[in-house]
Amino acid sequence: MDSSIAQKTWELENNILTVETPDPSSDSIFYYDEAAQAKFQQEKPWANDHHYFKRVKISALALLKMVVHARSGGTIEVMGLMQGKTDGDAIIVMDAFALPVEGTETRVNAQADAYEYMVDYSQTNKQAGRLENVVGWYHSHPGYGCWLSGIDVSTQMLNQQFQEPFLAVVIDPTRTVSAGKVEIGAFRTYPEGYKPTDDPISEYQTIPLNKIEDFGVHCKQYYPLDITYFKSSLDCHLLDLLWNKYWVNTLSSSPLLGNGDYVAGQISDLAEKLEQAENQLAHSRIGPLGPPRKKEESQLAKITRDSAKITVEQVHGLMSQVIKDILFNSVRQSNRSHNEQSGPEPMVEA
Amino acid sequence: MASSSSSGLTFKLHPLVIVNISDHYTRVKSQMNPPPVTSTSATVNGVEPLQQAPRVYGCVIGVQRGRTVEIFNSFELLYDPSTHSLDRPFLEKKQELYKKVFPHFYILGWYSTGSDAQESDMHIHKALMDINESPLYVLLNPTINPAQKDLPVTIYESELHVIDGIPQLIFVRSSYTIETVEAERISVDHVAHLKPSDGGSAATQLAAHLTGIHSAIKMLNSRIRVLHHHLVGMQKGDVPCENSLLRQVSSLLRRLPAIESEKFQDDFLMEYNDTLLITYLAMFTNCSSTMNELVDKFNTAYDRHSRRGGRTAFI
Repeated sequence: MDSSIAQKTWELENNILTVETPDPSSDSIFYYDEAAQAKFQQEKPWANDHHYFKRVKISALALLKMVVHARSGGTIEVMGLMQGKTDGDAIIVMDAFALPVEGTETRVNAQADAYEYMVDYSQTNKQAGRLENVVGWYHSHPGYGCWLSGIDVSTQMLNQQFQEPFLAVVIDPTRTVSAGKVEIGAFRTYPEGYKPTDDPISEYQTIPLNKIEDFGVHCKQYYPLDITYFKSSLDCHLLDLLWNKYWVNTLSSSPLLGNGDYVAGQISDLAEKLEQAENQLAHSRIGPLGPPRKKEESQLAKITRDSAKITVEQVHGLMSQVIKDILFNSVRQSNRSHNEQSGPEPMVEA
Repeated sequence: MASSSSSGLTFKLHPLVIVNISDHYTRVKSQMNPPPVTSTSATVNGVEPLQQAPRVYGCVIGVQRGRTVEIFNSFELLYDPSTHSLDRPFLEKKQELYKKVFPHFYILGWYSTGSDAQESDMHIHKALMDINESPLYVLLNPTINPAQKDLPVTIYESELHVIDGIPQLIFVRSSYTIETVEAERISVDHVAHLKPSDGGSAATQLAAHLTGIHSAIKMLNSRIRVLHHHLVGMQKGDVPCENSLLRQVSSLLRRLPAIESEKFQDDFLMEYNDTLLITYLAMFTNCSSTMNELVDKFNTAYDRHSRRGGRTAFI
């Protein structure tokens, strides 16, 4: 009795929505209705409302492709395009493909190189039965969070002028691996000069010092969209079965080893921020101050939060290692306790 | 279509390929059977929805290093089953495009959906032989069977066998393992269990992490139980004694404990200490931040109006 009450309380607190097992009819999201899409394109309801699109639905396939591509780039930013359609105030991303360009911060319009590739790919796709159009672009920010840099903002503003509806997605593969959950953000920019009426509440994330200026200058020019994921019934079934082979990888993963560089970078970045905060705090001790004091306090509080995050990730990694050690290393064969470690024993006792 | 292959190649399949094939199949199926007409949709094709499942075809690409074949990705192919013709220019175009983005991948074979390998599949197989001398055939069974415990994906290779005096190519099954990189594993996990996308509190993160490990350990435990049960049965004599199985179990047991050297213990403890040090520093930061806030609040509460510089009693 108690356990069921406890479970219900937990579900309520965490907004768990029971998702019914998708039946084949719910795969209707995969159907591409050309006429309806063309009609939507002509109506252009987004032209008047700059905050029109509020949600993004990403398919399992698109997410997998984007994350794998982003991770394969290592520390270099990579980019690609997403294909899909719109559905009311939601943009649906069905698939994604990589572009053969390396996005660097100095290139204003990296897509100019890739237009030919894009056209070729779209043509072959239409022949193969993927009828959706390009509906956005994605790129990776390895290690420094999901947000739009100055170049990204100008690229996206250009896109939103000429290629509507268009979406910008940013993925951080390094943080994904380090934290164990997918770091992804979807954004749309406001047109030049438009001031949003209310401040959108965005999730806090730590930005490295060398990028924080770029982030701060432009963070008011775009807004984040809610991301949800969907998969087909066949995908569900396959992924369930995949777990039968996958549990080995879960147990054998060692996040500590893979992300050593990243963690070291984070800690040194934190040290720099701490020094800055210390300087600011030292200055503010002169005379009683009112509201300005809040700024420095919140900086120290931010640093505390960042350090807590790094620590939590490290501790998780260490927990996995300790569990593996207990499982596989503390086994002692009873007859060995007397003898020394001998060489390989014969297979068959004579 | 016969027994296990003897080529000695080990196959590794990435989950991305499986999701790719499944997506291709779902797409084609839903385009052929449009969803029930709603009030807004204007297109209705007058044909009744086709009930049989369409077969989709595509190419798989990846890397072959020595005896290990790793399948990373896949793309669609155009194939006409009635004329048995494969669209060559399309294949070449696609191959070129994928080469630009993934220069290391080669075409390793092809895939299709269905329940079993068929004779007609040999045509495509032979057609691909000029690109890769020994292509693979990946077959996905799209029928959803809730009782099924194993992945409905099989990999076939072709072998030259002499049947009735005529050398013929037939399909033989091969076994494969699922291979993954960390990022892929996390996103598959994410989509499979549709975890809440925001960070949540530290408690929920911890719970999520430990739940993952717990389910993995549960699987390990159940597998070991199955093995144990089988061995006990063998001991009692219910099950015929199988020496190769016994050898494998024995070698498995001999591998435990996994590592037992001094050096490993040292490194392990060093890593442990590093993590404890990080925790210590984080706590330090937390404490100093709290202290700072306390001092500021104290100063604000007991504000000194006079700026004589000396200490005044505060009550």
